[in-house]
Amino acid sequence: MTAVIETRGLTKTYGTVRALDGLDLSIPRGGVYGVLGPNGAGKSTLFRILLGLIRPTDGTANIMNGPVGDIAHMRLTGSMIETPRYPPYMTARQVLRWLALEHGIAGTADIPLWLDRVGLSEAADRKVRGFSVGMMQRLGVAAALISKPELIILDEPTSGMDPPGIQEMRALIRSLAHDDGLTVILASHQLLEVQRVCDRVAILNKGRLVREGAVSELTAVGERLRLTLSPIGDAMIVLGDKGSVDGDVVLADIKRHEAPDLFRALIEKGVDVTEARWVGTDLEAIFFTETGAVQAPETIHAG
Amino acid sequence: MLVDAIRAEGFRLSKNKTGLFWSLAFVPIISVAIGALTSFVLKGSETKILGDEKMPEELKAALGRGTLDMADALVSAAGNLANPLVLLFVLIGAATLYAGDYRWETWRLISARNSRVNLLLAKLAVVAGLALAAMGFMLMAGVIENLIKAAVFERSLTFALTGEKALQFAGFASLSWLRILQFTMMGMLAAVVTRSLLAALFVPLVFGIAQFFTPQMLLPMGVLPDAWLSILVNPGAATDAIQAAIAGGVRAAALPDGLLPKAWISVGLWTLLPLAGALAWFRKQDLSKE
Repeated sequence: MTAVIETRGLTKTYGTVRALDGLDLSIPRGGVYGVLGPNGAGKSTLFRILLGLIRPTDGTANIMNGPVGDIAHMRLTGSMIETPRYPPYMTARQVLRWLALEHGIAGTADIPLWLDRVGLSEAADRKVRGFSVGMMQRLGVAAALISKPELIILDEPTSGMDPPGIQEMRALIRSLAHDDGLTVILASHQLLEVQRVCDRVAILNKGRLVREGAVSELTAVGERLRLTLSPIGDAMIVLGDKGSVDGDVVLADIKRHEAPDLFRALIEKGVDVTEARWVGTDLEAIFFTETGAVQAPETIHAG
Repeated sequence: MLVDAIRAEGFRLSKNKTGLFWSLAFVPIISVAIGALTSFVLKGSETKILGDEKMPEELKAALGRGTLDMADALVSAAGNLANPLVLLFVLIGAATLYAGDYRWETWRLISARNSRVNLLLAKLAVVAGLALAAMGFMLMAGVIENLIKAAVFERSLTFALTGEKALQFAGFASLSWLRILQFTMMGMLAAVVTRSLLAALFVPLVFGIAQFFTPQMLLPMGVLPDAWLSILVNPGAATDAIQAAIAGGVRAAALPDGLLPKAWISVGLWTLLPLAGALAWFRKQDLSKE
């Protein structure tokens, strides 16, 4: 598996604060990769180093198989760091034209396509000074894509967006990764969104990597079958110590391959199952466990 | 590539209509308006005093009302293109270019698209073009002003910008351009170091004012105007010396021996040092705190 980003012992200190503390991270090519962490975990510092905006105090970082700061490799990367801002006197179309020129792209044919793809066609000729935060974010994504990069880094891409906008952005990110073949790296505080969009995630805390893996694997740990059935008493006899009652439902602590046998046993016992679905430990729960942050009361979501 | 960065920066400037107006159009418009107004007011006073009588030829000669030599006017204007008013308004445009990416937090949009050196040199190239355009507009304004003057006072015109005059014009204009660029490069250094648009504008202005007082400060200390120290700390005096050499005649003859090489060195240092400083600082600058 080729890595688009590789860091070894990456450290960045600001005075006495260690924003990154010997970070070893390898992000594979392809798919959507999420970088999670509470405020101050080092996500933005990591992105800024990767994009050559700041220099690490120690360690190495490679992007697209070249050292960070090497412009030939950097140009294979598109990015949007936090809510982007633009010269206020320019229109959205002009912003993209300006950035394309900066990249050595003289043609303008792709600009309407990207504006359309991020849902800004109608606002293409409006001055950006009147744009909402959500519109700025959309333009930021278009700006990141205008140079046809192989890797795209998005920091909080849905921040400031309304729910339909978030849904569109989510679809766009997945499409970029799976239809256009880009590697998308995104940071977001919206853990549910990350779970829905990302193929793999890394969780950072205090500048260190605390967990990394495929979302499906991480959330499969502690997975249980949530059953709505009656009578509950008979079901509990079948489940024994693998079952627990949670209000009106029964949670079965079994592996997926054991499910068919369980259903057969329940039917033989005369239990009516009206609903069954898998619930796992979601990213939110993993996130709170790994980062030690204070967790909200509701931690289990449908998988 | 540098050429990409220049094209992009030029495109961005072309969309900044307000910046372009203040940098290029404002001073020439005001200059033409004031020139025309002065001509009309003078003509009005003249008519009031003389009534229907014609101005005596002796008085016309005394007032310099003979043939108007546009070439002379252009040469003289070229030597004065780096005047404080033009400088101030070109600096406004230059400050916007140099500090705009800090102000609008747009370094992060472009710094991964081209090398930092190219990005800064592109700004310098566009500012150089802006200064050249501002000078062109000022010369045009001078021509219009003189045409109005000639029409109002019924003066005949001649225009022969050839030979020595053409060379003087080119020399004066180039020197004025270099002088403006010197100030804008100080603005570049100030913008990079402070990330502030106001600093990019005011640091060169304060420096310009300080230069004006340098000779008065050094003379009581026994430092003569043609001494190394005087010339090195005062690129304005160095530029004047070079201009005098280009002008030739009495002005050139009055130059102290050995002043000219010192003047060129001073001009060169004041041009290259701010640029080198800005590039060196920018190459290692943390761009996360725009």
